Amino acid sequence: MSALTWFYLAAGGWVLAAAAALAGRGAPRLIHTACVLSGLAGAAGIAGGASALWWGNSRVVSAGGSVIVGTLQLQASSLAGAFAALLGLVALAIAAYAFRYHEAGPHTAIYLAVFNLACLGCLAVLAAANVVTFLVAWESVALLCYLLILRHPGRTDVAGGAFWFLALSETGFVLLVAAFVILAAKTHSMQLDLIATRAHLVPAGWRDAAYLLALTGFGFKAGLVPLHVWLPEAHPVAPADGSAFLSGLVVNLGAYGIALFAFRLLPVGPAWLGLLTMGAGAITAAIGILYALNERDLKRFLAFSTIENTGIIVTAFGAAMTFGAYGQRALWAFLLLAGLYHVANHGTYKTLLFLEAGVIEHTTGTRDMDRLGGLIHRLPRSAVITLIGTLGIAALPPLNGFVSEWLIFQGLFQGFRTGSHLVGILIVVAAATLGLTGGLAIYAFVRGYGIPFLGMARTRQSAEAAETGQPVAGPGLLAVACVALAVGAPLVVLALSRAVGTVTGVTLRPDLLPGNLTIIPAHTDFSAFSPTYLTVFLVAVTVVPVLIYLSGRPGADSVTVPVWDGGMVTFRPRMQYSAMTFSAPTRVTFDALYRPSVSMHRASDDPAGRSGPVHYETEVTPVFQRYLYTPVVRAVEWLADVIRPMQSGDVNVYLLYLFLVILAAYLIGAL
Amino acid sequence: MALWFLRGLRRGVVTTGYPARSDDSAARLPTPPAFRPAALDRSTADRLVAVCPSLALRREADVLVFDVGACTACGRCQDAVPGAAAPSGEFELAATSRAHLVKRIPLLREAGT
Amino acid sequence: MTDGDPALSSQQDQPGVPPPASGSEPGPELAAGRQLSERIARQFGRSLHIRTLDTGSCAACEQEIRLLAAPHYDLNRLGFFFTPAPRHADLLMVTGPMVRAFDVAARKTYEAMPGPKIVVATGACALGGVYQPDAFVHGSVAEILSVDVWIPGCPPSPLTLLQGLLVAVDRLAEKVGGLSFAADETQEAAQ
Repeated sequence: MSALTWFYLAAGGWVLAAAAALAGRGAPRLIHTACVLSGLAGAAGIAGGASALWWGNSRVVSAGGSVIVGTLQLQASSLAGAFAALLGLVALAIAAYAFRYHEAGPHTAIYLAVFNLACLGCLAVLAAANVVTFLVAWESVALLCYLLILRHPGRTDVAGGAFWFLALSETGFVLLVAAFVILAAKTHSMQLDLIATRAHLVPAGWRDAAYLLALTGFGFKAGLVPLHVWLPEAHPVAPADGSAFLSGLVVNLGAYGIALFAFRLLPVGPAWLGLLTMGAGAITAAIGILYALNERDLKRFLAFSTIENTGIIVTAFGAAMTFGAYGQRALWAFLLLAGLYHVANHGTYKTLLFLEAGVIEHTTGTRDMDRLGGLIHRLPRSAVITLIGTLGIAALPPLNGFVSEWLIFQGLFQGFRTGSHLVGILIVVAAATLGLTGGLAIYAFVRGYGIPFLGMARTRQSAEAAETGQPVAGPGLLAVACVALAVGAPLVVLALSRAVGTVTGVTLRPDLLPGNLTIIPAHTDFSAFSPTYLTVFLVAVTVVPVLIYLSGRPGADSVTVPVWDGGMVTFRPRMQYSAMTFSAPTRVTFDALYRPSVSMHRASDDPAGRSGPVHYETEVTPVFQRYLYTPVVRAVEWLADVIRPMQSGDVNVYLLYLFLVILAAYLIGAL
Repeated sequence: MALWFLRGLRRGVVTTGYPARSDDSAARLPTPPAFRPAALDRSTADRLVAVCPSLALRREADVLVFDVGACTACGRCQDAVPGAAAPSGEFELAATSRAHLVKRIPLLREAGT
Repeated sequence: MTDGDPALSSQQDQPGVPPPASGSEPGPELAAGRQLSERIARQFGRSLHIRTLDTGSCAACEQEIRLLAAPHYDLNRLGFFFTPAPRHADLLMVTGPMVRAFDVAARKTYEAMPGPKIVVATGACALGGVYQPDAFVHGSVAEILSVDVWIPGCPPSPLTLLQGLLVAVDRLAEKVGGLSFAADETQEAAQ
């Protein structure tokens, strides 16, 4: 079956799921039916995405047609195929999760209906073949996600977080509309295929302007710094599967948009555009992970980690554009492949981590890392699944994060092939920034896994968490997918290289997979890597010595004694690391970025120990809110105050305005 | 590097040769006392027992029980009854059994002489 | 000396019994003990790692122990080394009267040492002198640990400590068991 057929099946499944949820008005049986239908639709989405990746762009299907709003046109393009497969996987996992997570009720029914329609909207964005379809689908996704975040409107900060999301989404949307309108006007066509064919006729200045508008507009959704501010506000307040959907998919739609403009719609542009994109990505990655290290709230921490991964993806895309500008077509295609691979990986493990954060919040009642601890004993299955996701996101071999980051690094290290010293140095600086990010990511996720799961429970809620009844199938499926994306890397690279071949016209496969299990980054004289062999090797190196030990001669009599702990008599949970002290070295090293403010207040002036309670508070300055957004908001408010006198409420004044405008239009038309 | 090396060459080896050779400083160490049985009778023994601050001495009938392990070599027993105790000069005091450190000294002096 | 097995003890502890003179028939326990001590002397003869443990002393013993590492006494030339980790230690050198608040930690330190291991009680406090048992101290290290070698002194000088360590690894014979601390006329004349 063609990819479009699969997409229709998926769309139908999601519509039916939404209908089932609404029809039941919260009856448990129909909610479960809705989840099952949603999962089936997700599976169809995976099939459709894989099919689109493999077989290339499908034909364009048109429906309806009206002079004013244009036609609905759909196409399963291979660039969208990767994202569609990810959408299917994420939807399937969240459907399995939602089956057990939500309590039945009318609010849950509405929420699930909105969620399924949001999946449908995302599929429409990916399958859109003309500008109008894309923009309508994009805006509907934004509105539906806003409703998703507002699942519990009465709780603190929910309304604020949802508002941040909507406000920045709409700002980005304005820029997107501008970008698309420029291209559509200059190429005299609304259809994306035709725009792509005719784009080289558009003057370079307009092309660059369209790209910059698109980069900024999609950057709002993807989370490029300083447009990222909605992420840490919206993610903590959304329900677990809502945050997972946002981070796992909706943010990646921003990356899809950037890739759409950079690789499909526009021809290879000047090098400075690629360098700008790459620089924005590198800075985003570094700042994202630095702020992540400062968070106690699990979901805010994961939200900043999403920003970091977006930075990595955009760096890969930017470097690809730079290589393309210098004629290095193999590296151009290769870095696009690496970026798409990282999109898939990030979607998988970030969704997993958010779903597990939901499990933690549900069983312990808190998201604060400093109130957790020892959960590996209380929630063993969740601990194992979360560990796989954490190893993936920290980019440790042999899991999937390592594979995609290795590919990106290998592409960046070949910056010398551009022939320009300056550009080569800039690419190496970006690679160094990504290296810093990778190291900080390991640090951050040792903290993010170690503080809640390992050690002793810090509070009674954490000590009493129970795993019965918690969803395991959804996150478990994603854990299996993480391992599959790593061990099956040759297959993934094969499929993605076919997609990249369709998009860029560069065939990578002969250079990429000699012997089918080794990956070579675009040029054979540079390096080679086999994730499959590496996994086999690591497993063997771990397992074989254990087997030898177990089957060998009986050892000498051994005595089991407790671990040497310095002879301490009692160990209290408060003696452990807290999340903030573990990350204190970064606050010291990077204090120019954080600008922490410390306030301390003692109850009395007595000497230390007798002064009564001490109140100590330290806060990281919210640099972007304070120095960028607040001034802009104040400027807008000032402007609104200035304009307000025009709305006097007097009908006569309004008639005067009408007359003046018609007069001006007549004069302009006449001239 | 140079100065301490030259100084060391001038002074020579200062490390003690113990246990292969005897150490001169051993003669100046404070050591547990050795008691003269001929100078001890019940009353002097009781005086010695009363004056010892670390309870190393006790009297059992006509034997002065001296616990070398509890002795701090403070010298008060020598000051209290001169002639009854003198420094033994023994500094090699390690024992493999606690009982080896408990010494029984007979009280041989006739009361009144 | 314990091989990790508390049932195996190398010496009898009867008051007043001197060590057997050479040539006499050793009892079966003493023979086993001598075999064990020979094996341990072979094992520890070349290198011994010492872990010091302060169970509440005034630190005068610790100062003398520190001097062992100084150039004048230099215990490293005899193959002795200090280590802070009980897991790496062969010999536990205990000072202080075993304050009650510390006994669990002392026990844990002892149990963290792998066998064979030796315990040396150092200083008059650890041997039971100076402090009587009360609400705060046990009075003697032997209340909590099984001690192999006892070193008297307050504090024991580094030479005494060296002799004690060498006795613990059977490189020197114990001397004090044969002393009487009773001066007689012939001894006085000789001095």
